[in-house]
Amino acid sequence: MSGKRSRATYEADLQAQQSPFVTFGTPLPPLDPDVRDDGSYVPVWKQEVRDERGLKRLHGAFTGGFSAGYYNTVGSKEGWTPSTFVSSRTNRKKDGPKTAQQRPEDFMDEEDIADAEEGRRVETTQGFAGLGSTEDDAVRRGAFIDLFRVDGETVGVKLLRKMGWKEGQGIGPKVRRKARLDGVEDNAAEMHLFAPEDTSMISFVKKNDHKGLGFDGETKLSSLQGTGSDDVKSEDEEEDGRLSLAPKPTKKKKVKVGGIGIGILNDTGSDDEDPYEIGPRISYNRVIGGDKKKKKPISGAVNPLLKSKPIFISKKTAMAKAAAGFRKCHDGRLPLDGFILSSIDEFSSVLQSATNYAPPKIPEGWKSSKQPRAGTQQAAFLSTSDAAKASKLDPKSRASILGEAALPGKSVFDFLSPAARNKIAAASGKDNLPAALGEVPEGYSMTEEERQKEFLSQIPKVDKYTADAALSRGASGFMPYGEDEAKRNRYRAYLENQAGISPTLPEKPPRVSRIDWLKELKEFANCAQIFKPMSGMMATRFTSSSTAPKLASDAPDSSSLLSKPAPKPEDPAEQAAKLGMYGPMTRSTKDWYPTRLLCKRFNVKPPAHVQPGATEHDEEASIGPKNSAPDLVSKSALDDMMKESFDQQNRGRATPVEVEVEKPKEVAVVVVDKERNEALEGKRAGEAVFKAIFGDDSDDD
Amino acid sequence: MEFPSKPLTQLLGSNGPVHALTYSSSPSTYILTGSSDRSIRLYNPSHPSSSSSSNPLAPPKPTQLIQTYTAHGYEILSLTVSADNATFASCGGDRSVFLWDVTTAQTLRRFGGNQGHTARINDVTFAGENNSLLISGSFDASVRIWDVKAGNMKPVMVLDEARDSVSCVLASESEEGVIWAGSTDGRVRAYDLRMGRVRTDVLGAPVTSLQRTRDGKGVLVGTLDSCVRLMDRGSGGCLRSYKAEGWRNEEFRVRSCFGGNERWVVCGNEEVKGDDGEVVVWDTLMGDVVERITVEGSKVEGKKKIGRDGKEKEKRNVISCVAWKENGRGDQWCCAGTDGIVTVFGPP
Repeated sequence: MSGKRSRATYEADLQAQQSPFVTFGTPLPPLDPDVRDDGSYVPVWKQEVRDERGLKRLHGAFTGGFSAGYYNTVGSKEGWTPSTFVSSRTNRKKDGPKTAQQRPEDFMDEEDIADAEEGRRVETTQGFAGLGSTEDDAVRRGAFIDLFRVDGETVGVKLLRKMGWKEGQGIGPKVRRKARLDGVEDNAAEMHLFAPEDTSMISFVKKNDHKGLGFDGETKLSSLQGTGSDDVKSEDEEEDGRLSLAPKPTKKKKVKVGGIGIGILNDTGSDDEDPYEIGPRISYNRVIGGDKKKKKPISGAVNPLLKSKPIFISKKTAMAKAAAGFRKCHDGRLPLDGFILSSIDEFSSVLQSATNYAPPKIPEGWKSSKQPRAGTQQAAFLSTSDAAKASKLDPKSRASILGEAALPGKSVFDFLSPAARNKIAAASGKDNLPAALGEVPEGYSMTEEERQKEFLSQIPKVDKYTADAALSRGASGFMPYGEDEAKRNRYRAYLENQAGISPTLPEKPPRVSRIDWLKELKEFANCAQIFKPMSGMMATRFTSSSTAPKLASDAPDSSSLLSKPAPKPEDPAEQAAKLGMYGPMTRSTKDWYPTRLLCKRFNVKPPAHVQPGATEHDEEASIGPKNSAPDLVSKSALDDMMKESFDQQNRGRATPVEVEVEKPKEVAVVVVDKERNEALEGKRAGEAVFKAIFGDDSDDD
Repeated sequence: MEFPSKPLTQLLGSNGPVHALTYSSSPSTYILTGSSDRSIRLYNPSHPSSSSSSNPLAPPKPTQLIQTYTAHGYEILSLTVSADNATFASCGGDRSVFLWDVTTAQTLRRFGGNQGHTARINDVTFAGENNSLLISGSFDASVRIWDVKAGNMKPVMVLDEARDSVSCVLASESEEGVIWAGSTDGRVRAYDLRMGRVRTDVLGAPVTSLQRTRDGKGVLVGTLDSCVRLMDRGSGGCLRSYKAEGWRNEEFRVRSCFGGNERWVVCGNEEVKGDDGEVVVWDTLMGDVVERITVEGSKVEGKKKIGRDGKEKEKRNVISCVAWKENGRGDQWCCAGTDGIVTVFGPP
């Protein structure tokens, strides 16, 4: 053998030959390339660790794993890449082949898997809605209690232990009694010494609701300690539970009456169970595979043989037991001799004592020694305000009774007129107002004349102009109160009075109070303001130019106010047009400044005043204002207007003469020809020219 | 040459009165109508009317109605066709002048906006060299001149001499350089570009129609005093006035036109009753009535029996617009009015 063989040749040899180095014994079978269990040397970088399920596992140091180091990248140059990583640049994750989903088991070692297997049970969820378990309630309530509970044995327990106490026993001297086997006392058995029964602690449950004392509330389906699943408990069991002073749901136990026609449902083994009762009493199998049912806890020392022995407890005995009042006090002992344990809760009995224990009956014919005095009770109670109402005294009489000096002032009612008092009474709805005296204060007393004057001063005033206008309007046709002639007359009289035409006021009609009359006059005044002609009101604001000097010069009469503005002096050109005298009469010419662009578009040489030869300023001045829509009156526009008006005036003065002189001759048709002088050609008949203008082309052809 | 008084065909389709009517330029093959139903219709009157086809399997014949141009939001009051027949312009209640492409039926330009008219536009006409301008006269008493070639929306010029609504505008041949504007204030204003002058001719009554003679020396002016006048441009005198017994024009904008090489003056009549309308034809030179042509109206009863004024509507077919083929030279003419039917007349 020269030198070392290469690895490849060595391996090839291994597989080809049957273990060439074996001299004695049976050689191992030739190497299977896939299986390497012959203990042959494999270099580290070729080793692979796989678990029982053939998975490559790169962790789990406790089960013989190793780190995913250099070698376990298995030679790949890229190094370790998470298998789940797919570059999303080119191929999207969703497009690519599905990578094997990793299960939790892949990451669990044997122990974990074993645990998991053990834990595999089909079970309904805890708060299965269909059954409405309240199992969790107790857990929830006890959560904080558990937090603060002393864990382990307390010193007291240790001491008791040392004294021979065992858990589940009561404290005290041993008791001689018969052995109780599964809750039934065997009469035949002998007496033994037993440890006293354990008494449970009274736990005071904090009342943290707002319900009344002794209120049970809606009874829950399960008791505080009761568990939903295994709630078929014996009496003892219940008593084993911690006693609570909190209201406990009372379990209804129906007493069944056997009789004819008991159905199958009633014929079940257990008499206590109501087949129709659902809820906590129903014990479904909620666990598959596990223990079917927890064994009933066995209290006391129990013979395991007896456990399985069927015991018949007749209904009668059970009833008798319940009825006999073998109920124990909360400490587990029977009540003292001669006492019966109250069936009513202490607290509730206190509350209900009023109803339960009726007050002692008063013997017949009993009379109290304390007699109420007669008389005081007779007078009906009268409140102060009622008394005050009943009294018929007024302040003055009270003052006199009391001996007070009369007050110097007077009441308002003393000065009121009876009418005013009535008005107040009507408005306030009180009839018992003091009578109105209608006194007149000293300083205000008036003579008849003065009163008249004052009355007249109250008559509303209308200024003369308005009254005139209203009157004139009335004269011209319209006057209010058309339906009431008398009223209209009064209105007219009032207006005349106000206008100063007549000195007399309109007569006060009979059976009309002064106040009503004044009211009417006020109405007239308003009416006059409204119904005076428009011109009266508006003419003061608007003046037409034609009537303005008139108004200033002479007194305006009503007709002039209503007059229309004078018709515009008719344009002589329009007059001429109406007469059919078309021609120079109806024609006017003035300068116009076409824009250069317009001329360009028409391919026309711009007129001289728009020529580019003109100065820049001129051009702007000429084009500017005409170019765009005129929104302001520029200076040039103003000038134009002035010039135009001046021209018009001049022409207006000049033309009328012309019209008379020239026009009759001019009526003859005027024909225009560019080549000829219009003035010279005016009189010529237009036949030939017509021909030239309107002649048919086809005729010419 | 006899007056072509034979009705050739009726062009239907308008859903309201036809306000504008024009032949296309030079060959005048087509008729454009602008209606109060907000659309412009292009007809070929030489095609047979569509209703005559009896065989349903026969290939579809070309119909008279070729194209409908819809972009206006209001009634169309005037139309003008460019000389090359490639574009035409329309105007109406929506305060802008629309420039249309004939073939695509799309608007190329819309002249309006801030600098545009502030009221409905009564009349529009092409003007200038190569139809580079559009002149529009509006109810806002102004004439605006628009540059078709330039891109900006500003009018080239605003002529605001009119004291009332401008009802009609007219442009001369481009070298002549005259723009006429007839207004409701009873005046025709002739703007002379060469002289830089504006001549105002007082007509007295509101001007509703302007037509010029081909040589440009006379202008046919229709006014609301039941008279059409041929005015002399040079002196402003009235060359001839056209009136007729039983012919009235006092409320409608009735357009008149020359016909038959300016041999006739044609105008619709307001004084009509019932379904049929009437067109009165005068001899241009003599001024006497040559023909009274009855235009058959639609027999369809209108839905509205009561007018806006609450009175019962009297059915009347007023021929408000007439157009002569080839700008007065052809032998065909058409007219339309309140019942929306365009009737084409030709030589018998």
